[in-house]
Amino acid sequence: MEHTKYLVVGSSHAALEAVTAIRMHDADGSLTLLTRDAHLPYSPTVLPYVVSGRSAADDVFLRDETFFATNRVEFKRGSALKALHAARNAAELADGSEIAYEKLLLATGAAPAIPPIPGIDQVSYHVLRTLDDATKLHAAIKQSKQAVVLGAGLVGMHAAENLVKAGANVTIVEMAKQLTDGYFDPVAAQMIEKAFTDHGARILTGSRVVKLAPSAAFGTPGTTLTLENGTTLEADLLLVATGVKPNMDYLDDGGSGVEHDRGILVSDTMQTSVANVWAAGDCAQAKGFFTEAKVMNAILPDATEQGRIAGMAMAGDPGLKYYPGGVPLNTYHFFGRHAISVGSSKLPEGGEVLTRFDEASGRYLKAIFKDGRLLGIFGVNEFFDGGVMCQLILRRVDLSAVKERFMANPLAVGRELMSQLWR
Amino acid sequence: MTTATLETPNQTKPAKQKVILCEGNEAAALGVALARPDMVAVYPITPQSSLVEHVAKLIADGRMDADIVDAEGEHSVLSVLQGAALAGARTYTATCGPGLAFMFEPYFRTSGMRLPIVMSIVTRDGITPQSVWGGHQDAMTVREVGWVQVYCETVQEVLDTTIMAFKIAEHHDVMLPVNVCLDGNYLSYGTSRVELPDQAEVDAFMGVKDVNWHVALDPLRPMAVDPLTGGSGGKGPSTFVRYRKGQCRGMQNSLRVIEEVHEEWAQRFGRRFAPLVEDYRLDGADYAIMTLGSMTGAAKDAIDEARDAGKRVGLIKIKTFSPFPVDALLKSLEKIQALGVVDRSVGFRWNCGPMYQETMGVLYRLGRQVPSMSFIGGLAGADITVGHFHRVIEATEKLLTNPAPTEPAWLNERD
Amino acid sequence: MGRGYNTIAFDAAKCDGCGDCMTACATAKTGTEDKTRSRIQIVGSGDDGFELALCRQCGDPKCVTVCPAAALTKNAESGVIEWDAAKCVDCLLCTIGCAYAGIALDSGTGHVAKCDTCDGAPACVPACPHDALTYITTSRIYNEVGGWEDLFTPGLAGCQGCNTELLMRHTLRRVGPDTVLATPPGCVPGMGSVGFNGTTGTKVPVFHPLLTNTAAMLAGIKRQYKRVGREVNALAIAGDGGASDVGFQSLSGAAERNEQILFMVVDNEGYMNTGMQRSSCTPYGAWTSTTPIGRGSGGMPAQGKTQDAKNLPLIMVNHRCEYVATASTAYMEDFYDKLGKAIEASKRGFAYLHVYSPCTTGWRFPTDQNMEVARKAVETNFVTLWEYTPNEGLRLTRPVDDPMPVTEYLKAMGRFRHLSPDQISHIQGKVVENLAFVKQMIHRSSV
Repeated sequence: MEHTKYLVVGSSHAALEAVTAIRMHDADGSLTLLTRDAHLPYSPTVLPYVVSGRSAADDVFLRDETFFATNRVEFKRGSALKALHAARNAAELADGSEIAYEKLLLATGAAPAIPPIPGIDQVSYHVLRTLDDATKLHAAIKQSKQAVVLGAGLVGMHAAENLVKAGANVTIVEMAKQLTDGYFDPVAAQMIEKAFTDHGARILTGSRVVKLAPSAAFGTPGTTLTLENGTTLEADLLLVATGVKPNMDYLDDGGSGVEHDRGILVSDTMQTSVANVWAAGDCAQAKGFFTEAKVMNAILPDATEQGRIAGMAMAGDPGLKYYPGGVPLNTYHFFGRHAISVGSSKLPEGGEVLTRFDEASGRYLKAIFKDGRLLGIFGVNEFFDGGVMCQLILRRVDLSAVKERFMANPLAVGRELMSQLWR
Repeated sequence: MTTATLETPNQTKPAKQKVILCEGNEAAALGVALARPDMVAVYPITPQSSLVEHVAKLIADGRMDADIVDAEGEHSVLSVLQGAALAGARTYTATCGPGLAFMFEPYFRTSGMRLPIVMSIVTRDGITPQSVWGGHQDAMTVREVGWVQVYCETVQEVLDTTIMAFKIAEHHDVMLPVNVCLDGNYLSYGTSRVELPDQAEVDAFMGVKDVNWHVALDPLRPMAVDPLTGGSGGKGPSTFVRYRKGQCRGMQNSLRVIEEVHEEWAQRFGRRFAPLVEDYRLDGADYAIMTLGSMTGAAKDAIDEARDAGKRVGLIKIKTFSPFPVDALLKSLEKIQALGVVDRSVGFRWNCGPMYQETMGVLYRLGRQVPSMSFIGGLAGADITVGHFHRVIEATEKLLTNPAPTEPAWLNERD
Repeated sequence: MGRGYNTIAFDAAKCDGCGDCMTACATAKTGTEDKTRSRIQIVGSGDDGFELALCRQCGDPKCVTVCPAAALTKNAESGVIEWDAAKCVDCLLCTIGCAYAGIALDSGTGHVAKCDTCDGAPACVPACPHDALTYITTSRIYNEVGGWEDLFTPGLAGCQGCNTELLMRHTLRRVGPDTVLATPPGCVPGMGSVGFNGTTGTKVPVFHPLLTNTAAMLAGIKRQYKRVGREVNALAIAGDGGASDVGFQSLSGAAERNEQILFMVVDNEGYMNTGMQRSSCTPYGAWTSTTPIGRGSGGMPAQGKTQDAKNLPLIMVNHRCEYVATASTAYMEDFYDKLGKAIEASKRGFAYLHVYSPCTTGWRFPTDQNMEVARKAVETNFVTLWEYTPNEGLRLTRPVDDPMPVTEYLKAMGRFRHLSPDQISHIQGKVVENLAFVKQMIHRSSV
């Protein structure tokens, strides 16, 4: 059986950061990186731009073979983890072979969550999680005249914008009352919605699809969607973007004993409930910054943070600091505008919301405070340094004295505070 | 100048030797040149100056292949040579009196580092009172620092001993610096007939140059020279003790090596010098006088005259003063009943001459009472004449019958 | 092995917020004078002083790790984090990754923008009228020196924060293994360079000369190697006491004879190894254990050393050595430049390097302040950095035209704590006089 000191499963941000962290402390220990994907490492976050054509599919790779050679990493593509036999420190692969490990990182990410809509197995639809998905969708949108996007999360909205720009009639169907629920507040969502409708898209929020059926309306394999209210929609292109679920079937298949909930449950050092096994990134469920409860915070910056912590823990790096808890961080571009969201959007008891909105310029700013401390800040067309804001939140900096100035100019005041506090 | 071949019974093969007339300082310089040192460092001081002038001229004339360093003082003179010796050089210098005092700091260290440096001391009396004249006070003052010290009697012996000194110093059983002492004024400036050995013969005598084989500052074999040692813990004390004991062993070994080298010299060049102690007309003597250095010539004349006058007196000359040749001297002292020791310097602590003081220790080993007394003469360039030695002989003779005086006799007090 | 990189350094104390740097950057990078588009941003207000928002070109750049499009990479050669416009998807995630506001949205282009150090010639630096910005290129030394063998063993027993150990290690690495090293009694062998009881602290041949004869012994060594045709460096790392006091004669003699030696004096202004006694290089007013502070006698209080320091390097200039220079570990580029020249000069004749080396133990300052004290010595003109060659004469290598008051230096350490106003004014006067003297020599050598 093949033996490796470090086995990292997955090849995106969390996995790559873990590799770097391991090599910072242990230059020589054998290290194997395993991915089910056939490609070099890439980021799921870049996929909407592959769809739009802004990024070339062969120019988005985060590392090349030289990197793995230089860092003495055995890089195995197209090799999926099938079952984890944690009791004997072995990973069983799809081809039946096994790798014995001393330390294992599960950074297997997530896969699209397909809603159990009747008829969904009868129709053809797109999802967007892999580079191959993106390449297919990129080709498809050029042909599409009438598209439906299920789900108004950031993946769905990005794709919808691409479809709009490609000239299709686009309908976005979202169960929630607003677009980008969980990312942006109703005011921002309204601005996003307006931008889309201004460009001819149709937005159906608070709508649920109850049935899918094949349609021949366009001469190509299409879909007829039936909504809860009886309305039907015809689509020559259907994108299902209703969220993701972690890849962790291998835990149960091997009887690993690794505890999991919505994701793989991990400690403040990203260790799972089982010895020698860590998890990080979109498959992990770790402590939140605003709550002790373990949350899914499937965002890119958190994946890198978790991956680094896991790698340091695996290598025994004494410089390891505990995970402070996940802070939601998102950015979003739509029709030339940008939206940034840092921190919690929930207003806690005794909290305070301050907003600033200039309709003429479309600049919107909202911040949530409690006891003078910033909990979250959100802006549309209002640029501020997200990284600085995140530090203000993590450090629980008391902004009472500068709150007004801060709201007037979060960019300048944030930098000023940075320069005094941690630069 | 004429060329002569010296015939002696011990000579195994005749060596071609040029005969020249020169002063002791020049003889020393010629001896140095024949020994082929790599480096010479000099600083002038009376009465040594003409010696280093001769060396400089020999090098300037291409008659001697050595690097010469005109250092800014005796302290640096010896320091330069220490550095050169640590890099594997054969080295030479000369000094005296205040110069020797000034170089005392590196001088002390040379023997500890086991560096086979040869240095002539053109002996000069100590100051103050201010004086620039001969006397043994300078060399005597540093007799306890671990250098081998030999005293010459004649200009020829200066030349020959200077060459032999290198061989003694560099002997693997010795590895110690050597002072060749030649009396200021009397030997330094005294001109006499000298036989000059042939360079090829000297080369054969010296053998392959093998200096500083045991320690060197060489990047090809990096090591620390003279790390801090001693103290009261760890390996410190034992390390220091073993260093010191090794030095003492080297000193004792030198007594044998000095004899061997003198014997080889006699074999090759036909000139035999007593290596440690010379007995002169000691057989059948009831008492003896004891001398050191150039004074011995006048003393021997006095002995001859006294013998002719029927006195049963002989002479003991010390050549090797450091290490003190205890065993050799015991053999001489066994032959006599009373002893007068003539020093050319002062031992302030015992109110006598230093050689007398050393000899007292040897007399104790003899195991019987030998009445003795100390004579101090020839200070600051004063001459010890045959007449002075007759007074020494008379005073020593009285020791056979009368109580020995506790005060030294000062020979030139009323000259 | 990691590399060191050049960096733009900011001295907040010198910044008055004029914004000239931002104008220069905006002009260079955007073709406008729109300061908001500058990659360097002066932040803060006149009340609290000014600070900087500028890419730090991090070693573990978060902006790079959070970029989904591989548009940001750290250039391993230059250390600059490079932004690839063709790959960037304008997602702004990098601005969330950076905690230092080092990469931000350029309103003029709609893309992020960050400092690229203008390919090693940052426009902001020369634009600053107050020298608050400097482009530090010392990394070159780290990168070069990092590959050389440290020829001292680990674990020399220098005091915590010892400047001398730093200097020794740098120097011997540069001079190299074909060296015989002399370390006369003092801190250098005291910390174990010649070792104890049969061990050694150095990987080249090393020895204790006497305090008095370093230059002479080295001369002998060098000459003998020359005689046998071997190229060996003769290096002294000596203290100021031995060199300027009791060992001065042999130093002067060797310099006059133009012996081919590199003689480095580590000037910590006293006999620091043996309990901090006064040397002739101890400055006026300084406390030492032999110039203590007390009530004194005859109504004259004891207030430290009552004489000025001997200026040993200027004395060495008057030997017309092949090379004489003063240096400071606070200015390592300058030091390395001089060390290189000194090594070359020592192949022709006598080379003398005088390095001012603050002593945390003897001067009484915290162990982490060594570089600061060294820097202040230069920036107050308490010491001057210059070099001399017989052909070029004397030249200041780091002139300080707008020096800080000498009190900035004096108050950085305990040995001057007792100074009276009269003593301080004496010292300030000497600073002026010494500088004037050096400048006169510069003038003389330029005529």
